[in-house]
Amino acid sequence: MRQLILVRYGEIYLKGLNRPYFIRTLVNRIKQAVRPFGGKVWLNDSRIFVSDMTDMEACMEKVRKVFGVHSLCPAIEMDKSDFTAVCEKATEMMQGIQGTFKVDSRRSDKRYPMTSPQMNMEMGGYILSRCPQLKVDIHKPEYVMNLEIRDHAYLYVRVIEAVGGMPVGTGGKASLLLSGGIDSPVAGYLIAKRGVEISAIHFHSYPYTSERAKEKVLTLAKQLSEYCCGIKVFVVPFTEPQLQIHEKCPEEYGTLIMRRFMMRIAARIAKNEGSKALITGESLGQVASQTIDALCCTDAVADMPVFRPLIGSDKIEIIRIAEKIGTYETSCQPYEDCCTVFTPRHPATHPKMDHVARAEQCLDIEALVSAAVEGTEVIEL
Amino acid sequence: MQCYLDNSATTRPTAYVADAVRECMLEGFYNPSALYAPALTSEKKMSACREAIAKELHADSRNVIFTSGGTEADNLAILGTMASVRGGRVLFSAGEHPAVRAACESLKDRFDVQEIPYDQTGRIDLAALESLLIPETRLICVMQVNNETGAIMQLPEIAQLRDKLCPQALLHVDGVQGFMRLPVDMRKTGIDSYALSGHKIHAPKGIGALVTSSRVKLTARALGGGQEKNLRSGTENTPGIAGLLAAIETYPKENNMMAVKLHLYEQLKEIAGDRFFVNGPDPREGAAHILNCSMVPVRSETMLYALEGDGVYVANGSACSSRKQKISAVLAAMQIPRKQAESAVRFSLSPYTTVEEIDYAVSCIRRHYDMFKRYERR
Repeated sequence: MRQLILVRYGEIYLKGLNRPYFIRTLVNRIKQAVRPFGGKVWLNDSRIFVSDMTDMEACMEKVRKVFGVHSLCPAIEMDKSDFTAVCEKATEMMQGIQGTFKVDSRRSDKRYPMTSPQMNMEMGGYILSRCPQLKVDIHKPEYVMNLEIRDHAYLYVRVIEAVGGMPVGTGGKASLLLSGGIDSPVAGYLIAKRGVEISAIHFHSYPYTSERAKEKVLTLAKQLSEYCCGIKVFVVPFTEPQLQIHEKCPEEYGTLIMRRFMMRIAARIAKNEGSKALITGESLGQVASQTIDALCCTDAVADMPVFRPLIGSDKIEIIRIAEKIGTYETSCQPYEDCCTVFTPRHPATHPKMDHVARAEQCLDIEALVSAAVEGTEVIEL
Repeated sequence: MQCYLDNSATTRPTAYVADAVRECMLEGFYNPSALYAPALTSEKKMSACREAIAKELHADSRNVIFTSGGTEADNLAILGTMASVRGGRVLFSAGEHPAVRAACESLKDRFDVQEIPYDQTGRIDLAALESLLIPETRLICVMQVNNETGAIMQLPEIAQLRDKLCPQALLHVDGVQGFMRLPVDMRKTGIDSYALSGHKIHAPKGIGALVTSSRVKLTARALGGGQEKNLRSGTENTPGIAGLLAAIETYPKENNMMAVKLHLYEQLKEIAGDRFFVNGPDPREGAAHILNCSMVPVRSETMLYALEGDGVYVANGSACSSRKQKISAVLAAMQIPRKQAESAVRFSLSPYTTVEEIDYAVSCIRRHYDMFKRYERR
């Protein structure tokens, strides 16, 4: 008899012939996550098991964050041949519990001498006769004693909801424009959740933004990396484009032209990295550069799809996710991510594409983009 | 080259101080309350430090209470004196350090807590103070030197107004930025309590003291073993005290800080011309170690970060509040225009700051200012 974690996956069940590929990737991701605890991970009978770890709770917390995991259960594995002993163990597990319960059995081993309904009744009766504080409710029980008969018998009560999604790596690669704000880490999280391996691109305007602001972004990236199985951060020197835009372009287009430069630089870095799309934290109408007209202008220079998973979200909804994934507090640290010197007082909210294109003609776009890409610092987290 | 110009935030302990701390940790580590002979050495060191502080402030060494620093000393003075008083008025000046401001504001449910305004040079508005002093005034808190602007407060005049209008009121002085740098005579001036901190005068962090006059009745805030005459329980920080004593003994009171500061001032004025502003009193009249000025339109953070890259360290306003992105309360109290306040940089010197260091810092500032002044928010 031993304690282990029984891991269940969700959406992968819907996959057809390529299901093994998804499961194999998921197993690898779980292996990566539990490595610090020395856990063993294996696949058996469409369930993933984790055993022999040094710290069960910490290990479960790690597994809970692996995309593709639907839920996990701390379970007891024991010999299935002695059904009374299994019932005895189940009774012991229910001792400290008060309220209503039922037993829910499944058997993938069809040679087992009892059927699932028989096991439900037998075990339910056994527990009830020894735990007077419990009552049976088969429709809406407060607790469910789960019994799975496979190569062994598995018992569990606690089911911990995990993050869901698809295993990272199964959905290709994309690059996230990561600022120090609340939105972009959430956008990265949501896309990574769909199985996409992400890298992050941050625009650093020293000395208009500080070393601490950069450190904050790296902390955010580190927090994201827990879900994303590691993350590469590209820190782009962005002072020169900003100064030139400020000096030479009409004020009302300042932010927009800056966004277009970010897109051009990001797309180039993304391509070099093998990413097929960009991710931003933009939400429709949140600020002047996030109106439909403004987004059309920024999209026009990115020669790859731009994913904006927060486009229809309110700030409050975004904050809720940020709190859940643990990036909110870091995002709220007061280190600036851009300087107000460069913020136009009256930015254009409905820019015309040809006006913007004309406004930036005075800049040597290619030279500025190449210099920024070349000067980029790469940090692996 | 490195140039540390943030000595109002903290100072670098001298080698002599560090040696004294080390020696105390390795050799004189005994608990001063213990009965065996070596513990007596620790106790003697504490007495010597008390004497040194009392001598510096013209106070009674029996009224020196060691604390963990300036904040605890301020808290003890304000909360410890008002604990046994029922109602009345408590005053604090507009630019007080948060240690004083927060302690005073916590008394709001029992006292009429009011702020004393500043004039445009960052000193106490004496006329306004006079109108605030009523016979029921219990406590007046005024800092000796403002940590952001270097303005020296008019302590004798304030004490005289107190004597005339509310002689019972206690005068608490936060001397964290003034101790050792300006002479103080607690007795003659009529100061009732004085808070000081070690790490602003090249002693280690974690040591400070509250010095009181004989008319102060304190109620302890930290209860326990009864150390410091039952006013501040907890085993004494003997290495800190040894460091503080060493720092007091070796602090170069005769120094050329004012000349070095004026040298800095003249050069900065020349760099920014008519866009140079001093935030605070005339540099000749302020404390010798602080110069707060604005070189419009370059914002303080931009200048600070750019200088950081050259190994020159300065502050924008006070280090205690620079994590909050808003205009400093001190500059707001002086009604400094927003644009000027946004460019405010505080240079703070130590007696060890050299002209060569200043010249290096100025050359960096000149380069950055000439570059960044082109980019002004339109």
